[in-house]
Amino acid sequence: METGVTFDLQEFSLHDGPGIRLTVFMKGCPLRCNWCHNPEGFEPETQILRCNGRERSIGRKWTSQELIAHIALQADILRNSGGGVTFSGGEVLSQADFVLETIRGLDGLHVAIETSGYGSTSNFRALTKAVDLVFFDLKLADAEAHKRYTGADNSLIRANLEYLKSQRKAFIARIALIPGITDTDDNLNALAGWLYGDSGLQRVELLSCNPAAGGKYASLGMEFRPEYDEYKAPNCNMQPFNDLNITTVIM
Amino acid sequence: MTPRTARLKQNILDKHHHDFRRDVELTFTPEELAVSTLDEWESIVLEKKCRAEKPVILTEENILFTRSVGHFKYDCLPAVLSGKRFGMFPANICADWERALSKGLLGLRDEAEASMTRYCRDATAQNFLCSAIRSIDAVLELASRYAEAAEAAGRSDLAIIIRHVPGKSPRSLHEALQSLKFMHSCLFLFSNHVGLGRFDQYILPYYRHDIEHNIFTETEAEELIQEFFISLNKDTDLYPGVQPGDNGQSLVLGGVDRSGKPVVNELTMLCMRASREVNMIDPKINLRIDKNTPHELLREAVKLTRRGLGFPQYCNDDVVIPALVKHGYSLEDARDYTVAACWEFIIPGRGMDVPNINGLAFPAAVDQAIRAKIGRGCFEELERAVATNIRTQVEDYIRLQKTDDFCPQPFYSVLMTSCLERGKDINHGGCDYYNYGIHGCGSANAADALAAVKQLVYDEKSVTPGELLDALWKNWEGHEDLRKHIMGSHLKVGNHSKLADEMLVKLFGWFADACESVGDNGRGGIIRPGTGTAMFYIYLADPNWTGSEPTVGATADGRKVGDFFASSLAPSPGAEVAGIIGVLQSFSQIDYSRICNGGPITVELSDTVFRNEEDLDKVAALISTFANIGCQQLQMNVLDTAVLEEARKHPELYRNLIVRVWGWSGYFVELAPKYQQHIINRNTYRL
Repeated sequence: METGVTFDLQEFSLHDGPGIRLTVFMKGCPLRCNWCHNPEGFEPETQILRCNGRERSIGRKWTSQELIAHIALQADILRNSGGGVTFSGGEVLSQADFVLETIRGLDGLHVAIETSGYGSTSNFRALTKAVDLVFFDLKLADAEAHKRYTGADNSLIRANLEYLKSQRKAFIARIALIPGITDTDDNLNALAGWLYGDSGLQRVELLSCNPAAGGKYASLGMEFRPEYDEYKAPNCNMQPFNDLNITTVIM
Repeated sequence: MTPRTARLKQNILDKHHHDFRRDVELTFTPEELAVSTLDEWESIVLEKKCRAEKPVILTEENILFTRSVGHFKYDCLPAVLSGKRFGMFPANICADWERALSKGLLGLRDEAEASMTRYCRDATAQNFLCSAIRSIDAVLELASRYAEAAEAAGRSDLAIIIRHVPGKSPRSLHEALQSLKFMHSCLFLFSNHVGLGRFDQYILPYYRHDIEHNIFTETEAEELIQEFFISLNKDTDLYPGVQPGDNGQSLVLGGVDRSGKPVVNELTMLCMRASREVNMIDPKINLRIDKNTPHELLREAVKLTRRGLGFPQYCNDDVVIPALVKHGYSLEDARDYTVAACWEFIIPGRGMDVPNINGLAFPAAVDQAIRAKIGRGCFEELERAVATNIRTQVEDYIRLQKTDDFCPQPFYSVLMTSCLERGKDINHGGCDYYNYGIHGCGSANAADALAAVKQLVYDEKSVTPGELLDALWKNWEGHEDLRKHIMGSHLKVGNHSKLADEMLVKLFGWFADACESVGDNGRGGIIRPGTGTAMFYIYLADPNWTGSEPTVGATADGRKVGDFFASSLAPSPGAEVAGIIGVLQSFSQIDYSRICNGGPITVELSDTVFRNEEDLDKVAALISTFANIGCQQLQMNVLDTAVLEEARKHPELYRNLIVRVWGWSGYFVELAPKYQQHIINRNTYRL
């Protein structure tokens, strides 16, 4: 039986798919996005978070059976509302086997994943096939910039996106608007180009960044070093997507 | 709002109407002080108060009544009062507004006259009916002076209205609202927590009449209802309560009629819109729902929730109605329930229940048992001790109540369904229901404490009884690791913990057993156990508090001395909580057919939850879930903790910031610091 590590389970999460949802945040991520507001999702192992003199252990280890049993406690509520479970992260692809085994035990409950697309092609294919909806978090189209701000190359991400499009899988693209980094007209134009063409794309969600993004770093003994102005309003430019008839919302 | 209603609101916020106020000393003649009955005395006092009131006609107002007397002072008391101790004045109940409006005070006066003939040989009835008529006349005399004043102020339009109502049956929506405002305000001359009942039901005929006869457009009618709502905020500083805002002006929307037919109508929607627009603390809106409530209605309600006023409070008819029937209410009456003041289910016009005699202190019941029994015998013995403690508390409260007399109240009696017909006062047989209610306080902390003790001391045996007792007596000093372990454990209400939920269900079961075993409460009613806390979430945490309810020091759930409990039904402050679904699921397990005094599951949402229109649908789905899984009552607050912190530092900038406190909403900056702190500390779900 597979085991996995989560760093949070959020009940009634509002912005992760249809209906009432439970979002399971998988711990561990191969990317280090400069603006990440969930640094507790970086490391795959459990950690201690220290904040205002209080300590809290971050990370819970589960067997797939345990997680299935936990989800089953509220499955009726999720199902009756037209909702389900969303696996997010961290990076869900990094624990693909565990998540797959868990999904198989969910008895047809609606499942979504939220992924950066940075994971092996085989994991990506297996996981996207097993779920009903994919949230694909896109960052930067420029390979150099992607490497600089996330620590990783984006060619794998692009290839996985192309695969997803070709499969006509229902998906929602999400772009966090980071001032001067991801929110530039050039980047948005280029990403719109990536998304253009036949696919199961439902819409693009542009997310304004959260000024309190760095809040959790210090309590994990890390330093938040944003290479952008946290308090600057982002460039919420929907034009590149509208031009290509892609439904876009700002959240 | 229209510019006019916006100005009316601003004038109230600026307290301009306070300029008309003065305090008045009431004087009584020796004959008046020698009256032989309390009915008569109460009618004399109301008469003096009405006479002391001077009509105030404020610019642009279309619904009249403004208090011109701040405080009525009198220190002489009649001989008939000496040696009596009055625990309860009629309050926290609801008049039969439908009947009071449609008959008018003159119609009710005719009924009183007819009853006088019928009960001509019954001195008690005669005395009551005479006092009732005297009270009616006092109120009508004040109304006639309002008419003169309106005329003198050049408002003959309003003079026509107030010459007609509250004496006669209203001919229009405007007259209905004026009549209601007048009678409701007069009740506040002597009572408190005066409920407004099922407003969208009893106002509907007048509203439809005006729309059908083209007297008003919907927009104009809405403006008038907005004005009525605004007017309810006018003199609230004079209404007694624990904190400013605690005044019981609750209004109920939706539900079913006495035959069980759903009665959501255009006014239901309109009132929620009006409340959202007016954006003030009164009236407090309650919405009756069930598993078939249309999504559209819930969506409209969520728009009001999003406002952050702390209402509507949601009541689940599927749970409440059968429970009331089981508690001895007739099915027709149960279907007609309203919310008295905060959350207490009560029947308008027929219920003289006292829903808040005391608060059952669950934490003390559990804590005393732990300190006395831990390590001696099995866990079931400890449980039995808890059950006994709960029963002792209930019996003590009822014993205390039995020493109290109930003051008659002729004018409130006039406005109830059957008092005049029976020739009996509201407190002496004029009503149908005389039950008591006891709040159930600190239930989550108490359940968590039992769960921790069972698991650690009895099952795992990882903690010795001596160690736990030492920790409790020393307020966890030297036992910080144990405290951390307990606080961080999964054994908490709201956290999908089977054990904690089982303890919660047992606690309420023992509470119901205790109330049922007491049986008659001494005035022909029963005792209704509830889930609310009122102010006890603060009081019971203070070891120096001197009320009847027992307080506690440190408790086995990891709570330190003085830490507040949760308000009504919510997880213990600071406990591990799975999330909103876990919270609803825990509290859905209580057997509400036996626990029916009211007291909501209280949930705090961060204001960031509402980002787009889809979120309204989601929160509406959450409310459906609440109903579907068999919860009883739900209170959702929308908070921005950062704003509250700012408001505490700069109150002058946040004068109009509204928060839900317990069964009522108030202005944050007017609350005592401990109540402010509790709100800031509540577990806010960001989602």
